[in-house]
Amino acid sequence: MRLPTDDPYWDAFINRAPADPNNLIPHGFRQVTPGGVNPARTEVHSPNVMSSHVKELAQFYGADLVGIVALEPDRFGVVCVMRSDYDPQVAVGIGGQTPALKGLFASFTVGAYIRELGYAADSSGAEKERFAAAARLGTLDAEGRLVTRQFGRNVHVADVLITDLPLEPDGRA
Amino acid sequence: MAVTSDAPDRPKYDPAVDLDFPPPNLGPSVHVVGTVVNVHPDETPHPKVRRGEMGKVLFDYGRNTISADPIARTNSNRCRDKGNVFTDVLRRAPQGQINPKRTRVDDPKLMSKHIKNVGHYFGASIVGIGRSHPALLYAGGTLRDTGFIVDSEEGPKETPQELCKKYPYVIVTPVAWDYDLAQAHRHHIGDAAYDTTLMQTVLVLTAVENYIKELGYTALRGKVNPQAAALAGGVGELGRNGLIISEKFGSRIHLSDAILTDLPLAPDEPIDLGVQDFCKVCRKCAETCPTNSITFDENKQVFNGVEKYKIKWETCYKLRPLVTQHWQICLTCSTVCPYTKPNTWWRTLAVQTLHRTPKPVRPVVVRSLKWLDDRFWGKIPNKRVRWLGYDSGIKPGVKACTVAGCTAQHDAAGHKVDIPLSDIGYYAPLKENTNRFVKR
Repeated sequence: MRLPTDDPYWDAFINRAPADPNNLIPHGFRQVTPGGVNPARTEVHSPNVMSSHVKELAQFYGADLVGIVALEPDRFGVVCVMRSDYDPQVAVGIGGQTPALKGLFASFTVGAYIRELGYAADSSGAEKERFAAAARLGTLDAEGRLVTRQFGRNVHVADVLITDLPLEPDGRA
Repeated sequence: MAVTSDAPDRPKYDPAVDLDFPPPNLGPSVHVVGTVVNVHPDETPHPKVRRGEMGKVLFDYGRNTISADPIARTNSNRCRDKGNVFTDVLRRAPQGQINPKRTRVDDPKLMSKHIKNVGHYFGASIVGIGRSHPALLYAGGTLRDTGFIVDSEEGPKETPQELCKKYPYVIVTPVAWDYDLAQAHRHHIGDAAYDTTLMQTVLVLTAVENYIKELGYTALRGKVNPQAAALAGGVGELGRNGLIISEKFGSRIHLSDAILTDLPLAPDEPIDLGVQDFCKVCRKCAETCPTNSITFDENKQVFNGVEKYKIKWETCYKLRPLVTQHWQICLTCSTVCPYTKPNTWWRTLAVQTLHRTPKPVRPVVVRSLKWLDDRFWGKIPNKRVRWLGYDSGIKPGVKACTVAGCTAQHDAAGHKVDIPLSDIGYYAPLKENTNRFVKR
């Protein structure tokens, strides 16, 4: 979508912090406990195929870039990266937080899918930029921010899904 | 003997009495021609099913169905754990308050344009803004469509007329589902396309609702029939299939709900896409509907004071428990509709041609467009779709080995098989080579 330059309310939409933080969906959403892991586990024989499915599904749910990083021998991180017109760390308005909203949607729904397959999938916001770089989605600049080949610095990294689903990693942390 | 009725007294819109509200302009496909009794959210299909008024089978379906498909378990009411459905978690998240510091709106036209920009930025395919009208509202309470369950709730006791005076505008933000994936309707692939846009529509509506609250205005959900709001807001016209047919996406849009608001806006006018003339001739949806829920009549029916094509939702709904083991969302009427096509130049050309043709000549244009549609897209579109390891060419219930690259003989009678054979028609994570097992 082309950004509207002639909209007098647009700047406040992007940059004005909400008076009630609960009007910001990612803020309210994190206060609710997500669902549990399906006790009936689906067998996964080919981690490479499962990886491609997880990536394709994340893209279907709106992620622009998806990578998988190996954390420990049987633990992986699924990293979703969203293209962002504004930096959500600076643009604190409801509009400026849109990449965080879309990242939340992609990351939560993929996590839910993994839990329904019978594997753990916990969201973690720690070191997400480093994990994204380790998953070969880009490199880190001097400030530790992710720089991608496709979108440069205009990216937002969604919370990383830590999972024990057998996957084929793109890189190691 | 006096006839007594147990039917509760519902608010009505009578054009002869409600002089404050002249009959609404809903475009050429729907006309309010008499007294409209407002429908209570309790009397709409989903709450009736969930209360068991449509029979035991549907009651069981509405409350106790768990899908065999993991994607369906994360995006619909056929879930195992509702905490794994995005929209249910969203519903339970704390609600924000209306900002006491109200943003001044000097020019409603600019604000309308802004709300459209905002809706599109959040991911809506279309943003429609219409004028509210008592005939478009429910009788009271709230129809809560969370994208997870649809239920009715107690709400404010104001009449539709009072609500429309207080909140003069309605906003709809439909999201269109993927054209290619929906070709595999009556399959998990089509279900995934449809159910995901339901979650996205609810997400966009909630985001717009929260933003309006931040602007210092009220945004009410679950008060307005979203289809009626879409007609008033110029999103599209009502087709024979009972779905809103939009200009860019045909009937593959998910409406879910509408926002009723007092934010000063400049409403759009209903549009004429020629749907009215097309549906009179086409009948493709009526011919392909598996439950005969769509009328073949050339003329529209008057139902509850509204002239429109009325579908039989009871028979449409009753298909669901019969097929729920294999798929859920039929979508046949939407998929076969000649308006439901990828959003490309030739589609725009066809719609614009019909739109610009004078009404008396339209039947000729419609017949030629319908002929073209049958010729190139098939009378019943049936395309094989492969997505994520699902394959609509494989029928539900087909069993095959799910080990990638496996060359073992599994189907020898009387032999014990070490590797389990699974339902590849449900979920097939590993079936690069299933072609060898499945006769087509």
